[in-house]
Amino acid sequence: MKKILLILLVLFVASSCTKLDEMNEDTKNPSKVPSETLFTNAQRELADQLASINVNTNVFKLFAQYITETTYTDEANYDVVNRTIPDNAWRTLYKDVLMDLKESARVMDTEPAPILDSDKKNFANRKAVVDILRVYTYARLLAMFGNIPYTEALDINNVNPKYDDAASVYKSLFASLDADIATLTAGAGEGSFTGGADIIYNGDDAKWLMFANGLKLKMAIQTSDMSPLDAADLNKAIQDAAMGVFTSSADNALFNYLGATPNTNPLYLDLVASGRHDFVATNTMVDIMLAKNDTIRLDMYYTKVADTVASEAFKGGPYGYNNTYSDYSHINSTLEDPTFPCVLMDYTEIQFYLAEAAVKGLGGINGPSAFYDAAVTSSFEYWGSDAATAAAYILADAPYVDINSIGEQAWIAYYNRGFFGWTTWRRIDVPTLNDPPNNYIGLGKFPTRYIYPINEQTLNKANRSAAAAAIGGDFQDTKLFWDIK
Amino acid sequence: MRKTILFTAFLFFLGLQVINAQAKVVKGKITSTEDNKGVPGATVIVKGTTIGTISGSNGEYEISFDEKYKTLVFSFMGMETVEVDVSGKTTANVSMTPKVTEIEGAVITAYGISREKKSLGYATQEISGEEVNTVKSDNFVNSLSGKVSGVQVKANSNMGGSTNIIIRGSTSLTGNNQAMFVIDGVPVDNSNTNSSTQRQGGSGYDYGNAASDINPEDIESINVLKGAAATALYGSRAANGVIIITTKKGGKQIRDGKNAIGITLGISGTMGFIDKSTFPKYQTSYGGGYGPYYSAGADGHPGLSYTDVNGDGTKDWLVPTTEDASYGEAFDESLMVYQWDAFVPEHPNYGKATPWKNPENGPITFFENATTLKNSIAFYGGGDHNSFRVSYTNTYQTGIMPNSELKRNNLSFNGSQDLTDNITVSASAAYVNTDVTGRNSTGYSNNILSSYRQWWQTNVDVQDLKDMYDETGRNVTWNMSNPTGGNTNPEYWDNFYWDRYENVETDFRDRITGNAVINWKITDWMSILGRASVDYYNTVQEERLAVGSIARRFGISRLDVGSGYSRYNRTFRENNYDAIANFNHRFSDDLNITGLLGVNIRRNYLNTIYSSTNGGLVVPELYSLSNSINPVLAPLETEETVGVNGYFGQVSLGYKNTYYLEATLRRDKSSTLPDGNNVYYYPSVSGNVIFSELVEVDWMSFGKVRVNYAEVGNDAPFASINDVYSKPSPFGSTPLFSVPSTKNNIDLRPERTKSIEAGIEMKFLKNRVGFDFAWYKTNTIDQILPVAVSTATGYSTKYVNSGEIQNSGFELALLATIMKGDKFQWDLIVNWSRNRNEVISLYDGVDNLQLGSFQGGITINATVGQPYGTIQGSDFVYDENNNRKIQDTNMARPGYYMMSASNDQVIGNINPDWNAGITNRFSYGQWGLSFLIDWQQGGDIFSLDHWYGDGTGLYEFTAEANDLGNPQRDPIVGSPGSYASNSGGILQEGVLPNGEENFIRINGDRYTAYGWARNPNARYIYDASYIKLREVVLSYKLKMKKDSKSFIQGATFSFVGSNLWILYKNLPDADPEAGLSSGNLQGFQSGVMPSTRNFGININLNF
Repeated sequence: MKKILLILLVLFVASSCTKLDEMNEDTKNPSKVPSETLFTNAQRELADQLASINVNTNVFKLFAQYITETTYTDEANYDVVNRTIPDNAWRTLYKDVLMDLKESARVMDTEPAPILDSDKKNFANRKAVVDILRVYTYARLLAMFGNIPYTEALDINNVNPKYDDAASVYKSLFASLDADIATLTAGAGEGSFTGGADIIYNGDDAKWLMFANGLKLKMAIQTSDMSPLDAADLNKAIQDAAMGVFTSSADNALFNYLGATPNTNPLYLDLVASGRHDFVATNTMVDIMLAKNDTIRLDMYYTKVADTVASEAFKGGPYGYNNTYSDYSHINSTLEDPTFPCVLMDYTEIQFYLAEAAVKGLGGINGPSAFYDAAVTSSFEYWGSDAATAAAYILADAPYVDINSIGEQAWIAYYNRGFFGWTTWRRIDVPTLNDPPNNYIGLGKFPTRYIYPINEQTLNKANRSAAAAAIGGDFQDTKLFWDIK
Repeated sequence: MRKTILFTAFLFFLGLQVINAQAKVVKGKITSTEDNKGVPGATVIVKGTTIGTISGSNGEYEISFDEKYKTLVFSFMGMETVEVDVSGKTTANVSMTPKVTEIEGAVITAYGISREKKSLGYATQEISGEEVNTVKSDNFVNSLSGKVSGVQVKANSNMGGSTNIIIRGSTSLTGNNQAMFVIDGVPVDNSNTNSSTQRQGGSGYDYGNAASDINPEDIESINVLKGAAATALYGSRAANGVIIITTKKGGKQIRDGKNAIGITLGISGTMGFIDKSTFPKYQTSYGGGYGPYYSAGADGHPGLSYTDVNGDGTKDWLVPTTEDASYGEAFDESLMVYQWDAFVPEHPNYGKATPWKNPENGPITFFENATTLKNSIAFYGGGDHNSFRVSYTNTYQTGIMPNSELKRNNLSFNGSQDLTDNITVSASAAYVNTDVTGRNSTGYSNNILSSYRQWWQTNVDVQDLKDMYDETGRNVTWNMSNPTGGNTNPEYWDNFYWDRYENVETDFRDRITGNAVINWKITDWMSILGRASVDYYNTVQEERLAVGSIARRFGISRLDVGSGYSRYNRTFRENNYDAIANFNHRFSDDLNITGLLGVNIRRNYLNTIYSSTNGGLVVPELYSLSNSINPVLAPLETEETVGVNGYFGQVSLGYKNTYYLEATLRRDKSSTLPDGNNVYYYPSVSGNVIFSELVEVDWMSFGKVRVNYAEVGNDAPFASINDVYSKPSPFGSTPLFSVPSTKNNIDLRPERTKSIEAGIEMKFLKNRVGFDFAWYKTNTIDQILPVAVSTATGYSTKYVNSGEIQNSGFELALLATIMKGDKFQWDLIVNWSRNRNEVISLYDGVDNLQLGSFQGGITINATVGQPYGTIQGSDFVYDENNNRKIQDTNMARPGYYMMSASNDQVIGNINPDWNAGITNRFSYGQWGLSFLIDWQQGGDIFSLDHWYGDGTGLYEFTAEANDLGNPQRDPIVGSPGSYASNSGGILQEGVLPNGEENFIRINGDRYTAYGWARNPNARYIYDASYIKLREVVLSYKLKMKKDSKSFIQGATFSFVGSNLWILYKNLPDADPEAGLSSGNLQGFQSGVMPSTRNFGININLNF
């Protein structure tokens, strides 16, 4: 009896043990994935960051004063601390975009090596495309923050990456772009990502080549007042790039969203799905557009509200004040379509850059007014109008005069691209923005950069402090090196 | 595994003693000299053999043995051992005398090993089952508050919510710090499944902690093992202290001279009423709005909109219904205003303006009285060789929220049977089913309480909203988007009755715990115990969002959606297999050795799946995944298998019942650590001296000093070694993968807690007064941290072994019988403890580890050089005299406080300075009265409720008079330095940059004066101290005649009260204990539930 019991006990215990080394395995998540899935995710995260209107992630439509808030006006008054907005942008761009791009390139090297010549070119093209998006993302970070981690970034073995001087990062990015352009030129026609992995251009390497040139032009123009390149290099860069940029809106770099959550344009989530009524048009934008009789685009941008004089009118709420939603114009329903595309780069923008190059006599480009006209026309067309209407508008209300014309029209055209509007304003300094009543930075001051993430204050203290000192203080109104006015 | 077999085989060949046939029978009764009553459970041993028996419930025994033996040895814990010569006798009645010095009994230690308390070199503290089951609570852990020194319990006020229980401070920076629960040797899971969003104040529900399944009615006693030396045998899961629960067992019941079955019946009912000191006191003079700017230019009432509502061509006054704040127009009954009800066709006020006044029914009328009914029945009995107990408890509870209830059924069985003279088998099983409907939401968003405490219009009558919901069945809200524009949909807040009756969460948990034990006494000095145990449960949590509700973050995507359904299924299983050989050998009268060798095999399995509809529900009120508008996203799945193989041993030496020395060692091999680096040893050594045996003094009845050192550990979380990719929802048909936020680490080692403890225990005046004092220091090193890193690294966190946290503290338990008469007795029990912790280091170059981040810019952190759990946020700017600085007229926002430039200022610390529980027990004959005062001193809490609620002008003080005696919401008259005597506005206390006392008024008529808009977080940090009258019990024990024929054997009637009175607190309008969830993130309140004062009646009958 006792022996039986004992034997049973031993057997029972022995049979019930799984081996330890068979455990602790994550059976639900992969340790290996195809390289292109990481690239697609990076594209998507980047597009979401650009398109969003969420007060936690992207407040540039407020900074550009296209819209203002109704009840909770902290962000319109430039409080970016309460919601740690810079942290969120920084995290998305580094962790969700740049890291996935880096990993995508790394995984490519572990996948079976291409054998055919055309496959080799395709492989090289894919790497170039990944790199172009990387440059685009870094350029966005540079324009948000100034000096940023670059040479030591994206390395988990170094948890205190140093911040690099913004100008030197630009230089490095220019060099990378040149290499990517060379690769794509050499591998022309062999495509890049296939199978729908490239949401933006579906693997069209010719389009990516144009995009790379446009990006080079954009970076060159953005920093043109205090270029990191010497005069000759800057001229050459602009000249080279200008040869290969978009030739029409058909070349636009768009991220096309889908109709169903969670793959809709983030605007749809914040404006429609949330059921909230947080934003109204600003008087800054509406008044300037009304003064210019820009009713065609006004009608695309905003809704009309009841008015005592006319039955309906465009009305913008005073920027940064508490505004009653029903009293002012709202964001137009065009922008509320879940599939409304996010613009990464467009023909309008390119034409404005070329116009600016011409004004500044850069890259051997002449005749700003033609580029200016093309830009405004392109904007009208983008918003559903036509060339004739645009021509009439230019002639009557917005003829080219000087760089301020470019600044103002670019600012109007970039309505759905707050960051671009705000960046243009930082460089060209038109129009005059309105001072919000509870300005967090101080009355009469405007943000010219994001402060460094609150997280960096605690997690990367010494490097952040050094960077803060190097750029002239980690303040919202510190001007970045190229923003000399 | 091979080692296990070898070990068992070794035991098998030790040789077995065979008992010969017996010839002689001796019977008798064992009584106590103290009261002449029978002594049940006394051991009777035939001297020179291992033959023995145990006396029955009335003290009678019967034993048979070979005639050649002549002496019986009678022993009982706490009594002097008696030897009786029985040669030639068949009856031997014995009376036993209580020992004077032996005042400490047996306690259950790690792995269910029963030990004599005085031989232990570490602190333990027992409480009886009665202490945790007299006052009925939905979570028995709540009942431990104030009863054990060194144990910090923080109950929160959510119905069925989780309770935080920490023993001797938090030792792990980011791991689990909750005490471990073990019932009859079975570790019982105490997980909290609350989402990390919920824990950080986002929307969600508090699903409670799994230890709440434990049925207090089944508890015989609880022993708390506090320090590492006490728990060291548990090795890699020993760091947090262990609550050892022993359940009630059956035994022979004699009624009318016959063996019978005992029955205990318990009936109880409890009512809970809101403690008004834990709910806002609203101002009653102003209504909805944010300030005087809705009708600029119009006459008179700037807090109201001025627009033609009824279409008659004249403008009317209208409440800004979108504004969820109360900085609106002053109430004036002669002022007729269109309010929300004017836009509800079913409402009597439809189309009408109504007087502008403070409503009759404020938010407090929303709540109902809580009720708890608890009935239990237990059957128990047994014979000479067996025992059993079967019990059933039914709990039915309704919460203070409308439509909330919790039902629980506990069914348990335990029994034992002697198979032979020296083999006993026993088994126990418990089934628990908990079924909850309508838990309250927690946190900031979509939580009714966050509206009542932060975002509310004081002109709204709550009962009016109830009537409208009842009548229309629609989501008729006070917070209409644009009523004059025809949009009466909610802007931010649903009708709260709609929310309670339509957006109903439900959850249930079915759980089985049990064990099977075989105990084999091989020789008189050695026995083997084999035990297999299981804890298994399945839980389902379903959340619903009805069509017509305001959109909110919901489901897997956490995107805003107007309706939806989600379900979360979780299956948990833990198996433990233990084989333990116990040795007990007395070498001489002076030297005693006990020891054990054991093996423990533990296997944990966890499987969860979470799925939700996507984009809303097609058919309203159909809560099913297939009713999704867009295709359902891939569910989130997890499957975790974790195992530990442990070998352990213990040797204890006792010399002259005076000197004790003990050493333990455990070797663990854990599956969560990397191969080749996964075997660890955990040693402990302890010693104690009963110095009362050495010095004989009259006044001291007992004295003991103890000291110990131990190292225990904590292995890595599941799957934190190898990297995997995360899988976002595909973009249409395009698959996505992403590098996860956390970088895993192939080089992880277990955390290690090194602990040193010393203590002294003394009793005086014939045991009438005694104390137990302990000092300890634990250092937990090599912490396994997902340390936050700069996201410029491409990750947000990285697993490392780094960091050290130190806890040190004192504990004092004091017991005194203050008065003792024939009938009257007054006992006093005081438990006091103080823990100080300090984060000594974190990670290379990192001096702050963010544990959680909350709305309002608040973070909870581990900061080097600070206690664990600093609250960080924005602070005031102080001058050298510690005055708060105020901005002058040359600066932005003159008259407002200057604020720190960054949000990383340490503005609070969540740890209390000390905790105390004071129990007074009075007995007079059959009457008993006891009350427990529970005291927490110190600790800080950030109140998001005041951060926003002060800013929206809800609270009484925002409408009080200013320093000039004028309403603070009146306009400012005059300018700095020359204000008129009728000026309104507020003068903030502080100094201007030039050192002058502030003389610049700020507007008191809008949302900027208080709260979030213009104030540093530090203004809303409160001291979390409290003194509570935690429990009051008045009982009457019906005394039965010594006639065992009586049907009823005993009865107790009691009136109980819990949380009756918060005698002292500094946090206004809320209970300092209220919170979001158990876990490491404490010190933050948002939309917390009010507490209830509970009154109940218990009837206990024994048959």
